Amino acid sequence: MTRKTLLTLTLNGEDTDVATQGTVTLLETLREDMGVLSVKRGCNQGVCGSCTVVIDGAPVRSCLTLSAMCEGRDLRTIEGYEADRTMKCLQKHLIESGGIQCGFCTSGVLLSAQTYLTENASPNRAEVKSALSGNLCRCTGYRTIVDAVCDAAEELAQ
Amino acid sequence: MSELIRPDTIEEATQFLVSHPDARVLAGGATLIAMRNAGLVEMSHLVSLSGIHDLQGIEKTPKGIRIGAMTRHCETAGCDLLTGSLAVVRQAAGMIANRPVRNMGTMGGAVSNADPAADYLPALACVDAIATIAGPDGRRDVAITEFVEDWYETALGEGEILVSITLPLARDEPSLYRKVARVTGDYATASCAMAMDGDAVRVAIGACGPGPIRDTDAEEELRGNLANPDAVSAFAARLAGLADPIDDVRGSAEYRLALIPRLIRAGLKMMQTAEVAK
Amino acid sequence: MTVQTPFTGGTVGVPVAKLDNAEKAEGKALYIADLYLPGMLHGAILPSPVPHARIRGYKLDAALAATGVVAIVTGDDVGEGRMGAFIKDEHAIAKGKVLYVGEPVAAVAAKTEAQARAACRLIEVDYEELPAILTPEEGLAEGAAILHENVEDYFKVFDAGSVGNLATRTVLEEGDVARAWDGCDIVVEGEYTTQAQAHVAMEPCGALADVDAAGRVTLWSANQSVFRVQANVSESLSLPMSKLRCLTPRVGGGFGNKMEPHIQPITVALAMKAKKPVKLILTREEDFEMVRARHPYKIRMKTGAMNDGTLVARECEVLLDCGAFADDSPGVLGYSLLMCGGPYRIPHLKAHGKLVYTNKLRFGAYRGFGNPQVSFAGEQQIDEIAARAGLDPIAMRRHNMLRDGDSWFVGPKIASNGLPECLDAIEKAVVGKRVDGTPRNLGIAATAHISGLLGTGAIVRMLEDGSISLNTGATDIGQGSDTVLAQICAERLKVPLDMISVASPDTDGSPYNWGTTASRVTYTTGRAVKAAAGKVVDQALEYAAQMLECDIEDVELRDGGRIGRVGSNTDLSFGIISARAHWLEGGPIVGTETLVFDQPTHDPKRAVALGLPFPRIGIFSFAALAVDVDVDDTTGETRVLEAWSAADVGRAINPRLVEVQLEGGFVQGMGYALYEEMVWDGPKLANPSLMDYKISTSRDVPDKLHSIIVEDPEPTGPYGAKGAGEIGLNVVPAAIANAVYGATGFRHRHLPLTSERVLNGILSQEGEV
Repeated sequence: MTRKTLLTLTLNGEDTDVATQGTVTLLETLREDMGVLSVKRGCNQGVCGSCTVVIDGAPVRSCLTLSAMCEGRDLRTIEGYEADRTMKCLQKHLIESGGIQCGFCTSGVLLSAQTYLTENASPNRAEVKSALSGNLCRCTGYRTIVDAVCDAAEELAQ
Repeated sequence: MSELIRPDTIEEATQFLVSHPDARVLAGGATLIAMRNAGLVEMSHLVSLSGIHDLQGIEKTPKGIRIGAMTRHCETAGCDLLTGSLAVVRQAAGMIANRPVRNMGTMGGAVSNADPAADYLPALACVDAIATIAGPDGRRDVAITEFVEDWYETALGEGEILVSITLPLARDEPSLYRKVARVTGDYATASCAMAMDGDAVRVAIGACGPGPIRDTDAEEELRGNLANPDAVSAFAARLAGLADPIDDVRGSAEYRLALIPRLIRAGLKMMQTAEVAK
Repeated sequence: MTVQTPFTGGTVGVPVAKLDNAEKAEGKALYIADLYLPGMLHGAILPSPVPHARIRGYKLDAALAATGVVAIVTGDDVGEGRMGAFIKDEHAIAKGKVLYVGEPVAAVAAKTEAQARAACRLIEVDYEELPAILTPEEGLAEGAAILHENVEDYFKVFDAGSVGNLATRTVLEEGDVARAWDGCDIVVEGEYTTQAQAHVAMEPCGALADVDAAGRVTLWSANQSVFRVQANVSESLSLPMSKLRCLTPRVGGGFGNKMEPHIQPITVALAMKAKKPVKLILTREEDFEMVRARHPYKIRMKTGAMNDGTLVARECEVLLDCGAFADDSPGVLGYSLLMCGGPYRIPHLKAHGKLVYTNKLRFGAYRGFGNPQVSFAGEQQIDEIAARAGLDPIAMRRHNMLRDGDSWFVGPKIASNGLPECLDAIEKAVVGKRVDGTPRNLGIAATAHISGLLGTGAIVRMLEDGSISLNTGATDIGQGSDTVLAQICAERLKVPLDMISVASPDTDGSPYNWGTTASRVTYTTGRAVKAAAGKVVDQALEYAAQMLECDIEDVELRDGGRIGRVGSNTDLSFGIISARAHWLEGGPIVGTETLVFDQPTHDPKRAVALGLPFPRIGIFSFAALAVDVDVDDTTGETRVLEAWSAADVGRAINPRLVEVQLEGGFVQGMGYALYEEMVWDGPKLANPSLMDYKISTSRDVPDKLHSIIVEDPEPTGPYGAKGAGEIGLNVVPAAIANAVYGATGFRHRHLPLTSERVLNGILSQEGEV
């Protein structure tokens, strides 16, 4: 029976104690132990982006992150952006643009976009595409997603 | 289920690795954890280097630009010190995978893994980078061009880790990294890193063998003859002769060999335009 | 144009946001992996490491003793029941034989997923290996090892003619092709190959099964049809349908991968054995290796025309790799033959082909369903003839295209044909040069596709308060069918969209719906929805007339859920009418409609058909595509810079959702054209991971992708609508190949057009690659 470690993880601004085994990934801890289901397991290889989370303000792959390395760091999933003006604007535009189809990639897309707009408030279209190239979408063909992020950036800049 | 070890110093790390042969070094995790998730690798312990201060940061020293092994790709891709002849390294960093992976992966991790199709090795090879290694017997330096010994095998011995990569100071000359890949962020099917050096050019080819391909003798013979198409072809043929490409899902060996001269010619042309533009 | 919901007034034609978007934008949508039941176990599958073998026995002791393990299922636990959409050749799990590397051989239910996977590795299976058949040619060779030794005994829904490893053969012919060649001035012919493409829906397949105390199974799964899940599990486990309830959570994309069963039968078998709920979610690698993919095709095509470009004859012969199980393959074969003439008048057309079992994963339904493969050949031959006839590619297509009143190959009548407008739209759009002043490298192609097919229904209920419940059993896989069907319902009832609630598909309460496939839901289910809503209107009018004490001719339906007396302001709300119906008189208002598409495919007076798998196929949509392609002549790397996709969808119920179908289909087709390829290393898939099998990222798609909606109303469609889900993908490879020919002078006959192939084409201007 593998010994469990008690970790204190700061998720969306709140400290939670979680008992984890060894070197389990943050994706697994979030979903199985902390009930955070907005992060998805699309490939478990760090390619698809459905597992994207934000650690200390930077988007990373939770499927490649060890929970044991996350103590003392600021972890955010989409639930942690409920009051965030940039996120609300992005969500509104994505809902309207047609950039949400099956929705499996959506949380990851929104986290990548929110963190990018926080770094670069007036991106051009090519920059938005580069920022999102780590979020695979099989449904939309990307145009409506890129439109939504560009439109949100414009609205936020006003 | 493996255990996580978090040493504070290089010595702690190397000592642990020597006494635990089934332990693996964890840098950014971008490659190692992906392989573990796929069941391709198992380990008794993961020895994380993220707490070791000496492995962090990029700094300019009198000897050159020192890039700590735990420097993430996003830092390298955004580093203002990597201009001119060193821009090739910055470009290569910026083409690795995508933004979230670049927030995680490290130069030390990538170079130690020595994936033949990864982006750093040809770029570092063409700028004459030096790898500093630490191990149970102390420190040593290895030229990047000698770092890769065989397919996925490097000069790192038992218990040794990469500490830093040192690049010579930047020359005010153009350099270029180009990769042929199926989609954005894919590993290279073939790649070409080039840096102008007066009337010579430094060239390293990637993804066409176990390690980056460079021929300094051929570069010297080409010196002063960059505008001579026959000389360039002969040069490219020398590099192609050293190549040992494989057939894989990204392309055939023949295709890779065919790309070598074409990438070199196209790269020279691009850098000459940049030269003129300067 | 953006519209805020709630919305009053007509909704058909309005690009409303999808009803499920808010939930998805907040990360609250629940997919199969997000469902949990108390006491739930986790399942994992042991795949076969060998391509073809008899199973001599299993050693399960070590696995059963492993930590956390509760139950193990093998072929010994399932009966002889076989499932299959056309040929019932497949057990719930490998039984007696394995037929492909990756085929599920055993499954474990344990307390955690890690424990289930670890236990799988402890299971020993005794295989007696047999020779592996890795190509259709090997499968047809004299003395070849036979995969399905009792194929002739399997139940089939059509005249398949299965024998040996030949799963089926199909022949369709009109006119007299053999004699027609002599009358042709121009003849082009060629041999083409297309590769296997993986669906790569972002959500891997998964299921959750629970068995109650009475032995009744409740099964959630990622699916494109709860009814196909029910039928397949029922048949493979010999479980009466009344003992099986199938439901759907949100689905993370399908594209055909989830239309027929994946691991649902295994999950049910595990839950029955463990006597606890079991959830089984595939890894990405398992999703690549275990489930299904697009058929690789070998195509021989010959097309003949007059000097002025008038098409005279075409012969198309195809050889399909079926994989280990028939799945939807007979449908794909038949459909591709039906479509191989393209949207043109060709008096003499012969299409024939074979489907051969091989020891690879089953090939099955995938957006386009065989049309992309034959179009890759056909639309290039149209261009080749155009060049010889001195016609530009659009003029050539215009000259030969089918017109209103024409019949499609083999028989179905075309009632609405917007291809002329699609070609006009493309022609206007591509005028001019690129933004940087360089001329375009254009490739053009045209296509048609069906929507229709099989059974569907709708139940529209007016709830006590006058709001509306709509239940169709159609699975929304992200394309927005819930929203589109609600729009149709709202339009017919003249109510705002937010008065409609759409029920989730449930075999317990939903009317039968064959599935979300074949571009059929808007057209087929939409018809049922409109009719059922119409019955609700009729009933409500009748009740209102009673309540207003007048004749039914004196009352009318008004906006906002009201019925009023003609010529007066007096009216009644749906709520009042419904309350009376519930509590006082008449009974609650329910409108139902069911239908099966009933227009025959084959007109025996026109054409010969042998082994046609679908007697009633559907109505036709049309489309045209133009791409502007850049070829890097240093490396052969090919990029689509801009694309114009014009589709006649009859009527766009929701224009934004139509556009996204065209664009998403384009990008998926572009990956198929340029870099997506499943590669086998002997019998084993060499690239079953997203590291090695690459799909487009946001940076790989054209800077400009224009969707142009053409509306030529389909008389039988709801408000004139017909399907749009697949047509945007069909001719992407053909159009790109035509453009690459223009840019490089080389005619590509093999997909994908990798940078390597394109460079080889540039380097060698003679012969073929």
